[in-house]
Amino acid sequence: MKQNGFHIILAFFLCTVSAYAQLDSIQHLPEVMMTDSKLVHFSKGFKLEKLNDSIVERNATSLTETLRYNSSIYFKENGFGMVSSPSFRGTNAAQTAVIWNGININSIFTGQTDFNTISPLNYDEIAIRSGGGGVQYGSGAVGGSIHLNNTYSFKKINNTKVGLHSGSFSTVGANANTTQTWGDHYLNVGVDFISSENDFEFVGKNMTNTHGQFLRFAATVNEARKLKRGVATWNSEYIYNDRNFSGSLNTIGKDGYKDISTRNLWLLQQRTGIFNTKASVAHLFEQYRYFPDTEKPSYDDGNANTFIGALQSEVLLQKKLRINGKVEYNYINAEGDNVGENSRKTLATVLLINHKISDDFNYGLNIRKEFFNDFDNPFLFSADAKWKVSKNYALRLNGSKNYRVPTFNDLYWYAGGNVNLHPETSYQLELGQEFSFGKLNVDVAAYYISSEDLIKWVPENGIIWEPVNINEARNYGAELNMGYSVKLLKQHTLGFTANYSYTKAEDLEKEKQLIYVPFHKATGTLQYNFKTLLVYFQGLYNGEAYTTTDNSAAVEAYKIFNLGAEYTFSSPPEITFGGRFKNVFNVYYENVAYRPMPSRNIQLFLKFNI
Amino acid sequence: MKKLLFLTFATSLFISCSNDDDPQNDPIPTAAYEKGILVTNEGPFGNGSGTISFISEDFTTVFHDIYKTVNGSDIGNIVQSMGFSSENAYIVANNSNRIMVANRFTFESISSISAGINNPRYFVSNDASRGYISNWGDPSDNTDDFVAVLDLITNTVVSSIPVSFGPERMVFENDKLYVAHQGGYGQNNLISVISGNNLLTTITVGDVPNAMVEENGILYVLCSGNPDYTGNETAGSLVKIDLANNQIIETLTFGATEHPSGMTEDGGNLFYGLNGKIYKLAMASNTLPGAGIIDGFFYALEAKEGKLYATDAGDFASDGRLLVYDLTTNQEIQNVTVGLIPGGIYFND
Repeated sequence: MKQNGFHIILAFFLCTVSAYAQLDSIQHLPEVMMTDSKLVHFSKGFKLEKLNDSIVERNATSLTETLRYNSSIYFKENGFGMVSSPSFRGTNAAQTAVIWNGININSIFTGQTDFNTISPLNYDEIAIRSGGGGVQYGSGAVGGSIHLNNTYSFKKINNTKVGLHSGSFSTVGANANTTQTWGDHYLNVGVDFISSENDFEFVGKNMTNTHGQFLRFAATVNEARKLKRGVATWNSEYIYNDRNFSGSLNTIGKDGYKDISTRNLWLLQQRTGIFNTKASVAHLFEQYRYFPDTEKPSYDDGNANTFIGALQSEVLLQKKLRINGKVEYNYINAEGDNVGENSRKTLATVLLINHKISDDFNYGLNIRKEFFNDFDNPFLFSADAKWKVSKNYALRLNGSKNYRVPTFNDLYWYAGGNVNLHPETSYQLELGQEFSFGKLNVDVAAYYISSEDLIKWVPENGIIWEPVNINEARNYGAELNMGYSVKLLKQHTLGFTANYSYTKAEDLEKEKQLIYVPFHKATGTLQYNFKTLLVYFQGLYNGEAYTTTDNSAAVEAYKIFNLGAEYTFSSPPEITFGGRFKNVFNVYYENVAYRPMPSRNIQLFLKFNI
Repeated sequence: MKKLLFLTFATSLFISCSNDDDPQNDPIPTAAYEKGILVTNEGPFGNGSGTISFISEDFTTVFHDIYKTVNGSDIGNIVQSMGFSSENAYIVANNSNRIMVANRFTFESISSISAGINNPRYFVSNDASRGYISNWGDPSDNTDDFVAVLDLITNTVVSSIPVSFGPERMVFENDKLYVAHQGGYGQNNLISVISGNNLLTTITVGDVPNAMVEENGILYVLCSGNPDYTGNETAGSLVKIDLANNQIIETLTFGATEHPSGMTEDGGNLFYGLNGKIYKLAMASNTLPGAGIIDGFFYALEAKEGKLYATDAGDFASDGRLLVYDLTTNQEIQNVTVGLIPGGIYFND
């Protein structure tokens, strides 16, 4: 089956290449627009990092890989390519929202997004918004949110990219993406495929990773059409994952997981007078099948349909005061072997205000109130401000109240699900400072998050596990991000980027650090460019993380390094080839206890930009 | 790192138990695990190993992860239980699908068994030649469950006896093996009677038989009853079986929503857990007691010589504790930290 998939994709490429190879390749830098514009306009006092294309492409195996080496987010990956859950500022995966074109796509069942099921190549822009985003993005945007955006433009574009990659452990992948504009039309179509035997050696253990095969196929279509006083857009994606779950040092992997997600968003944007109004309809579908034993046909499954209808209107008064009002209706219907059939209706009302007092100072005030059928949701608010003190220095300040609603598993799981749960709530404050001196940019942020009513599964009567609103936690920490580049000689550039975070996440009852939250994480990349040759050295330090709630056991700290190089022939078509040695020093490391990560390995790629 | 952890454990325990500041770094002398209590700790599911803790009879010494200390290797994932035959301990690592054989007093490894077993649960033996291992197979498949027969000389599985689903705890008495079928992912209500390599008969008891005690030819079977989430909730029960003819003598039935679990015997009394309390019941009694004697949710229970040994697994994600109660006063007399999810208590004398 896996082989077939590969051939289909390969065939698709060949068609794509031949169809577009002859077209002219003049490119303009287009004026890019985004469906989720509130990310730009109403997040001024928040830390917003965008990952550039080259970073995404070079870490394209999964969204885990993309973010692991380039952000402060910690990933708890249950073996390479397996379930990967983020911890953002010490919060858990269900407190990290993943936002696709403005829509929260965390699973209805688990409340989280498995970052190994997301193809980073499906998007034009990947952004990390740190801090509470509950008002804008709803449940789960507590520690922060990851934004996957597709953009559009009506400038002339005729661009096709084809990439092929292969690597150790029988890893092969391919992707193709074409963007075309004509008249009032914008069309982007992309496919991405990866498959791996994932049978790496455990360094120094005389064992190999077994039963860890994974395959992912993703496709996306994004369309925009210019209208008389507005624009109509359609964003759509399909993702299929088929994974066997690997064992650990002491266990043999038997189980497997297949999941399908489809997402569609239709949006109509109209200008009437000073009002810019957007009406949208969206449909999200998720389906999973869990196979306790992949040798056998039986599985547990679940699927959920989410329908969203939203209407929002934005006005900019005197080029200073931007006000956005939004009403969103959300209907979820889910059924699964372990949760039965249930639905949830939510009506959310949101008001966002951003006031630009001067070019150097602006502030925002945001509120959200939801009306639920199954429980009362808290009134959410956030306030933020940004002050550009001088040419070299700016201050950011934000505070917010956020929440996370119980998932369908929490509420209805058979047995143990607790329909009396209420949402987790959290308050947070953040102070950020931005320094910029020429090519040196430094961002220092400190935050404090206080959470209560955290949902935890406990053995309620000694037999059955049941989720209850029991825990309280306090997270605080600091993050440092910096970037520097220097021109050495003519056409020689040296660049350096680094992230460091200190995270204290404390269970207030036990007065212990939460499990799988390392105190320290650091990443860094040193990059050297000469004309179109690029060489980089990438490093990651992941501090010790406790694995038990009394902090009596821990998974050790590790340092790993990757070395990569790329070269581009710029004559049309533009061809880039490159590769990367991962874990160059071949160190043994575990990200989750007893689950060794890959030994030294190599990845090669070839990219055509037509 | 594991060594460091062990040292951390050992140090903290040593300090708490003996008020001696000298950390216990030295290698453990051989036969150090005689005359004391062994606790099997299941360990974390999937991502680690179960361990065995040793607590000396006088509670002055506690050693952690003794198997790894002696052998330098892990037992395996989910140490479900341990059984003994003469000087050997058979440690069942359920999720690693293996049984480690070690000397019960030194814990030096002797052998390991992985062929012929599938999802092993418990080991029992009553002579020097033959051991029995209950196996669930695939817990969602009700047709592949079996009891493996182990040759104790070669430590190899020599025979496999297919049985009803969910075989769990076993009692060996008078050359017969009694297997309680608690059920795997579902619920069962049988006791299998095995002799040699043959299934003789089955006895229908209450739903979910999870503990057995044999005394004077009578088998006492504690049945939890089906939990309410099954949609077919049944009351717990205590079933007494005459082993001379495999007939049920008496059934004591709990309240409709009462689901007792864990049972042990000492001095003519049975002790069992129910709704956060330990109850005491004279074996001859034909009515269930109204009031409990000790408060607490316990994961394992063993009574011996006027004392009740019980484990508290806490949140199942941190080190658990072994508690000891004096059964004349019902007061706690010892409280020791053991490993992660302590599920079995054994006396090593």
